[in-house]
Amino acid sequence: MRSVLCGFLLLAFLAGSAQTAMPQEAQQRRVLALEHAWDRAVREQDVKALDPLLGEDLIYVEYDGTVMNKAQYLADVRMPRRQFEHIVSDSMQVQSYGQSAVVVGVYREKGVENGKPYLHQERFVDTWINQNGAWICVASQSTLMLH
Amino acid sequence: MRKETFALIIVCLLSPVARAQDGADRGGGSKVLAQESVRNQAEEKGDIRALGLIFDDALVYVDEEGSLLNKEQFLAHAANRTGAHLQWLVTPTMSVDVYGDTAVVAGSYRARGVEPGKPHQREGRFIDIWILKKGTWVCVAAQATPVQR
Repeated sequence: MRSVLCGFLLLAFLAGSAQTAMPQEAQQRRVLALEHAWDRAVREQDVKALDPLLGEDLIYVEYDGTVMNKAQYLADVRMPRRQFEHIVSDSMQVQSYGQSAVVVGVYREKGVENGKPYLHQERFVDTWINQNGAWICVASQSTLMLH
Repeated sequence: MRKETFALIIVCLLSPVARAQDGADRGGGSKVLAQESVRNQAEEKGDIRALGLIFDDALVYVDEEGSLLNKEQFLAHAANRTGAHLQWLVTPTMSVDVYGDTAVVAGSYRARGVEPGKPHQREGRFIDIWILKKGTWVCVAAQATPVQR
Protein backbone atom coordinates (compact mmCIF):
# COMPACT_ATOMS: atom_id res chain seq x y z
CA MET A 1 0.00 0.00 0.00
CA ARG A 2 2.89 2.31 0.80
CA SER A 3 4.30 1.93 -2.71
CA VAL A 4 0.87 2.64 -4.22
CA LEU A 5 0.60 5.78 -2.11
CA CYS A 6 4.13 6.87 -3.16
CA GLY A 7 3.17 6.28 -6.78
CA PHE A 8 0.09 8.44 -6.42
CA LEU A 9 2.09 11.17 -4.73
CA LEU A 10 4.70 11.13 -7.50
CA LEU A 11 1.98 11.35 -10.14
CA ALA A 12 0.31 14.18 -8.27
CA PHE A 13 3.61 16.05 -7.98
CA LEU A 14 4.33 15.66 -11.70
CA ALA A 15 0.81 16.81 -12.55
CA GLY A 16 1.27 19.83 -10.32
CA SER A 17 4.60 20.72 -11.92
CA ALA A 18 3.13 20.44 -15.41
CA GLN A 19 0.30 22.71 -14.33
CA THR A 20 2.70 25.53 -13.39
CA ALA A 21 5.44 25.02 -15.96
CA MET A 22 4.19 26.14 -19.37
CA PRO A 23 7.00 25.42 -21.84
CA GLN A 24 9.30 28.41 -21.83
CA GLU A 25 9.43 28.74 -25.62
CA ALA A 26 5.64 28.70 -25.90
CA GLN A 27 5.47 31.31 -23.15
CA GLN A 28 7.92 33.55 -24.99
CA ARG A 29 6.13 33.17 -28.31
CA ARG A 30 2.84 34.09 -26.63
CA VAL A 31 4.28 37.21 -25.04
CA LEU A 32 5.91 38.31 -28.31
CA ALA A 33 2.58 37.86 -30.11
CA LEU A 34 0.97 40.09 -27.48
CA GLU A 35 3.65 42.73 -28.04
CA HIS A 36 2.79 42.78 -31.75
CA ALA A 37 -0.93 42.90 -30.92
CA TRP A 38 -0.19 45.92 -28.70
CA ASP A 39 1.53 47.75 -31.59
CA ARG A 40 -1.37 46.94 -33.90
CA ALA A 41 -3.92 48.22 -31.37
CA VAL A 42 -2.01 51.51 -30.92
CA ARG A 43 -1.68 51.95 -34.68
CA GLU A 44 -5.43 51.41 -35.13
CA GLN A 45 -6.33 53.31 -31.93
CA ASP A 46 -8.20 50.16 -30.93
CA VAL A 47 -8.63 50.64 -27.19
CA LYS A 48 -10.98 47.66 -26.96
CA ALA A 49 -8.25 45.33 -28.21
CA LEU A 50 -5.65 46.98 -26.01
CA ASP A 51 -7.60 46.92 -22.74
CA PRO A 52 -7.28 43.16 -21.97
CA LEU A 53 -3.52 43.27 -22.57
CA LEU A 54 -2.95 45.71 -19.72
CA GLY A 55 -3.16 45.12 -15.98
CA GLU A 56 -5.48 47.30 -13.92
CA ASP A 57 -2.45 48.59 -11.96
CA LEU A 58 -0.38 49.28 -15.06
CA ILE A 59 2.50 51.72 -14.66
CA TYR A 60 3.41 53.29 -17.97
CA VAL A 61 6.42 55.59 -18.35
CA GLU A 62 6.52 57.47 -21.66
CA TYR A 63 9.83 58.31 -23.39
CA ASP A 64 9.70 61.87 -21.99
CA GLY A 65 9.26 60.71 -18.39
CA THR A 66 5.48 61.18 -18.26
CA VAL A 67 3.91 58.59 -15.95
CA MET A 68 0.45 57.22 -16.74
CA ASN A 69 -1.91 54.70 -15.23
CA LYS A 70 -4.03 52.39 -17.38
CA ALA A 71 -6.96 54.82 -17.84
CA GLN A 72 -4.62 57.67 -18.78
CA TYR A 73 -2.69 55.51 -21.23
CA LEU A 74 -5.85 54.22 -22.92
CA ALA A 75 -7.12 57.81 -23.20
CA ASP A 76 -3.79 58.77 -24.76
CA VAL A 77 -4.10 55.99 -27.34
CA ARG A 78 -7.72 56.96 -28.10
CA MET A 79 -6.84 60.63 -28.61
CA PRO A 80 -3.19 60.64 -29.67
CA ARG A 81 -1.29 63.90 -29.61
CA ARG A 82 0.59 62.61 -32.64
CA GLN A 83 -0.47 61.31 -36.02
CA PHE A 84 1.16 57.91 -36.55
CA GLU A 85 2.50 56.85 -39.92
CA HIS A 86 4.54 53.88 -38.84
CA ILE A 87 4.82 51.90 -35.60
CA VAL A 88 6.95 48.82 -35.13
CA SER A 89 8.71 46.96 -32.32
CA ASP A 90 11.76 44.88 -33.11
CA SER A 91 14.96 43.41 -31.63
CA MET A 92 12.82 41.93 -28.87
CA GLN A 93 14.25 39.54 -26.29
CA VAL A 94 12.14 37.76 -23.69
CA GLN A 95 13.35 36.53 -20.30
CA SER A 96 10.94 34.13 -18.60
CA TYR A 97 10.65 33.82 -14.84
CA GLY A 98 7.88 31.29 -14.23
CA GLN A 99 4.69 33.30 -14.07
CA SER A 100 6.29 36.49 -15.35
CA ALA A 101 8.25 37.58 -18.40
CA VAL A 102 10.38 40.62 -19.16
CA VAL A 103 10.60 41.89 -22.74
CA VAL A 104 13.25 44.33 -23.86
CA GLY A 105 13.09 45.74 -27.37
CA VAL A 106 13.24 48.72 -29.67
CA TYR A 107 10.10 50.70 -30.56
CA ARG A 108 10.15 52.87 -33.66
CA GLU A 109 7.45 55.42 -34.30
CA LYS A 110 7.21 57.75 -37.26
CA GLY A 111 4.56 60.39 -37.62
CA VAL A 112 3.57 64.03 -37.42
CA GLU A 113 3.19 66.12 -34.28
CA ASN A 114 2.03 69.75 -34.39
CA GLY A 115 2.54 69.70 -38.15
CA LYS A 116 6.15 68.53 -37.86
CA PRO A 117 7.39 65.08 -38.87
CA TYR A 118 9.20 63.06 -36.23
CA LEU A 119 10.92 59.72 -35.79
CA HIS A 120 11.32 58.24 -32.30
CA GLN A 121 13.53 55.30 -31.54
CA GLU A 122 12.91 54.09 -28.01
CA ARG A 123 14.27 51.23 -25.93
CA PHE A 124 11.46 49.68 -23.92
CA VAL A 125 11.09 47.16 -21.13
CA ASP A 126 7.67 45.55 -20.63
CA THR A 127 6.83 43.25 -17.72
CA TRP A 128 4.15 40.62 -18.24
CA ILE A 129 2.43 38.54 -15.56
CA ASN A 130 0.45 35.37 -16.11
CA GLN A 131 -2.82 35.81 -14.23
CA ASN A 132 -5.21 32.86 -14.40
CA GLY A 133 -3.77 31.78 -17.73
CA ALA A 134 -3.84 35.23 -19.36
CA TRP A 135 -0.72 37.33 -19.85
CA ILE A 136 -1.13 40.97 -18.92
CA CYS A 137 1.40 43.80 -18.97
CA VAL A 138 1.84 45.44 -15.55
CA ALA A 139 4.73 47.79 -16.30
CA SER A 140 6.06 49.46 -19.42
CA GLN A 141 8.79 52.05 -19.78
CA SER A 142 10.52 53.66 -22.74
CA THR A 143 13.70 55.69 -23.08
CA LEU A 144 14.73 57.62 -26.21
CA MET A 145 17.78 56.06 -27.87
CA LEU A 146 20.41 58.73 -28.29
CA HIS A 147 22.93 56.51 -30.10
CA MET B 1 -7.34 4.61 3.32
CA ARG B 2 -8.60 5.32 -0.17
CA LYS B 3 -10.19 8.54 1.05
CA GLU B 4 -6.89 9.65 2.64
CA THR B 5 -4.97 8.91 -0.55
CA PHE B 6 -7.50 10.86 -2.62
CA ALA B 7 -7.29 13.80 -0.23
CA LEU B 8 -3.49 13.77 -0.44
CA ILE B 9 -3.62 13.81 -4.23
CA ILE B 10 -6.06 16.75 -4.21
CA VAL B 11 -3.75 18.67 -1.87
CA CYS B 12 -0.73 17.95 -4.10
CA LEU B 13 -2.59 18.98 -7.27
CA LEU B 14 -3.72 22.22 -5.68
CA SER B 15 -0.35 23.03 -4.11
CA PRO B 16 1.03 25.09 -7.07
CA VAL B 17 -2.01 27.38 -6.82
CA ALA B 18 -1.55 27.71 -3.08
CA ARG B 19 2.13 28.57 -3.54
CA ALA B 20 1.26 31.25 -6.05
CA GLN B 21 -1.30 32.83 -3.75
CA ASP B 22 1.08 32.76 -0.77
CA GLY B 23 3.62 34.65 -2.85
CA ALA B 24 1.58 37.85 -2.76
CA ASP B 25 1.33 37.77 1.03
CA ARG B 26 4.93 37.11 1.84
CA GLY B 27 5.54 40.74 2.78
CA GLY B 28 7.70 40.96 -0.31
CA GLY B 29 6.99 44.65 -0.80
CA SER B 30 8.93 45.90 2.20
CA LYS B 31 11.80 43.52 1.47
CA VAL B 32 12.00 44.73 -2.11
CA LEU B 33 12.01 48.37 -1.00
CA ALA B 34 14.79 47.54 1.46
CA GLN B 35 16.75 45.99 -1.42
CA GLU B 36 16.17 49.17 -3.46
CA SER B 37 17.65 51.21 -0.65
CA VAL B 38 20.68 48.90 -0.42
CA ARG B 39 21.10 49.18 -4.17
CA ASN B 40 21.04 53.01 -4.12
CA GLN B 41 23.62 53.11 -1.33
CA ALA B 42 25.80 50.63 -3.20
CA GLU B 43 25.58 52.75 -6.36
CA GLU B 44 26.40 55.91 -4.45
CA LYS B 45 29.41 54.30 -2.76
CA GLY B 46 30.50 52.43 -5.85
CA ASP B 47 30.21 49.14 -4.00
CA ILE B 48 30.43 46.86 -7.01
CA ARG B 49 30.50 43.70 -4.89
CA ALA B 50 27.14 44.57 -3.29
CA LEU B 51 25.68 45.51 -6.68
CA GLY B 52 26.86 42.17 -8.04
CA LEU B 53 24.74 40.39 -5.44
CA ILE B 54 21.67 42.58 -5.95
CA PHE B 55 21.51 42.16 -9.73
CA ASP B 56 20.65 38.88 -11.41
CA ASP B 57 23.11 37.44 -13.92
CA ALA B 58 20.48 37.88 -16.66
CA LEU B 59 20.01 41.60 -15.85
CA VAL B 60 18.76 43.90 -18.58
CA TYR B 61 19.59 47.52 -17.83
CA VAL B 62 18.49 50.45 -19.97
CA ASP B 63 20.36 53.64 -19.16
CA GLU B 64 19.23 57.26 -19.64
CA GLU B 65 20.53 57.28 -23.22
CA GLY B 66 18.52 54.21 -24.16
CA SER B 67 21.57 51.93 -24.28
CA LEU B 68 21.06 48.31 -23.31
CA LEU B 69 23.59 46.92 -20.83
CA ASN B 70 24.04 43.44 -19.41
CA LYS B 71 25.18 42.85 -15.84
CA GLU B 72 28.90 42.94 -16.62
CA GLN B 73 28.55 46.14 -18.63
CA PHE B 74 26.40 47.77 -15.96
CA LEU B 75 28.87 46.96 -13.18
CA ALA B 76 31.73 48.39 -15.25
CA HIS B 77 29.61 51.50 -15.92
CA ALA B 78 28.74 51.86 -12.21
CA ALA B 79 32.39 51.48 -11.18
CA ASN B 80 33.36 54.18 -13.63
CA ARG B 81 30.81 56.81 -12.63
CA THR B 82 31.23 56.60 -8.86
CA GLY B 83 33.64 58.47 -6.61
CA ALA B 84 34.00 62.03 -7.83
CA HIS B 85 31.43 61.51 -10.60
CA LEU B 86 28.28 60.68 -8.59
CA GLN B 87 27.81 62.91 -5.55
CA TRP B 88 24.35 61.88 -4.49
CA LEU B 89 21.34 59.91 -5.66
CA VAL B 90 17.89 60.19 -4.08
CA THR B 91 14.50 58.64 -4.87
CA PRO B 92 11.79 61.07 -3.68
CA THR B 93 8.93 58.78 -4.75
CA MET B 94 8.82 55.02 -4.93
CA SER B 95 6.00 52.46 -4.99
CA VAL B 96 5.97 48.68 -5.19
CA ASP B 97 3.44 46.22 -6.63
CA VAL B 98 3.98 42.55 -5.84
CA TYR B 99 2.61 39.84 -8.15
CA GLY B 100 3.57 36.52 -6.56
CA ASP B 101 7.31 36.14 -7.00
CA THR B 102 7.61 39.27 -9.14
CA ALA B 103 7.74 42.85 -7.87
CA VAL B 104 7.54 46.09 -9.82
CA VAL B 105 9.15 49.13 -8.22
CA ALA B 106 8.46 52.47 -9.88
CA GLY B 107 9.58 55.90 -8.83
CA SER B 108 11.45 59.08 -9.51
CA TYR B 109 15.10 59.89 -8.92
CA ARG B 110 17.41 62.87 -8.69
CA ALA B 111 21.14 62.61 -9.06
CA ARG B 112 23.96 65.10 -8.86
CA GLY B 113 27.49 64.55 -10.05
CA VAL B 114 30.42 65.85 -12.03
CA GLU B 115 30.99 64.71 -15.56
CA PRO B 116 33.93 65.40 -16.86
CA GLY B 117 34.69 68.51 -14.88
CA LYS B 118 31.16 69.89 -15.21
CA PRO B 119 28.61 69.62 -12.41
CA HIS B 120 25.23 68.29 -13.47
CA GLN B 121 21.89 67.44 -11.92
CA ARG B 122 19.55 64.92 -13.45
CA GLU B 123 15.95 63.99 -12.84
CA GLY B 124 14.13 60.97 -14.12
CA ARG B 125 11.76 58.05 -13.72
CA PHE B 126 12.68 54.46 -13.18
CA ILE B 127 11.10 51.03 -13.06
CA ASP B 128 12.96 48.09 -11.53
CA ILE B 129 11.74 44.51 -11.77
CA TRP B 130 12.58 42.10 -8.97
CA ILE B 131 12.19 38.33 -8.86
CA LEU B 132 12.17 36.17 -5.75
CA LYS B 133 14.82 33.50 -6.30
CA LYS B 134 15.63 30.96 -3.59
CA GLY B 135 14.25 33.28 -0.92
CA THR B 136 16.12 36.40 -2.10
CA TRP B 137 14.80 39.27 -4.21
CA VAL B 138 17.12 39.96 -7.14
CA CYS B 139 16.79 42.73 -9.70
CA VAL B 140 16.36 41.35 -13.24
CA ALA B 141 15.53 44.56 -15.11
CA ALA B 142 16.13 48.25 -14.49
CA GLN B 143 15.47 51.27 -16.66
CA ALA B 144 15.90 55.02 -16.37
CA THR B 145 14.13 57.70 -18.40
CA PRO B 146 15.12 61.37 -18.05
CA VAL B 147 12.25 63.78 -17.46
CA GLN B 148 12.01 66.19 -20.38
CA ARG B 149 10.62 69.58 -19.53
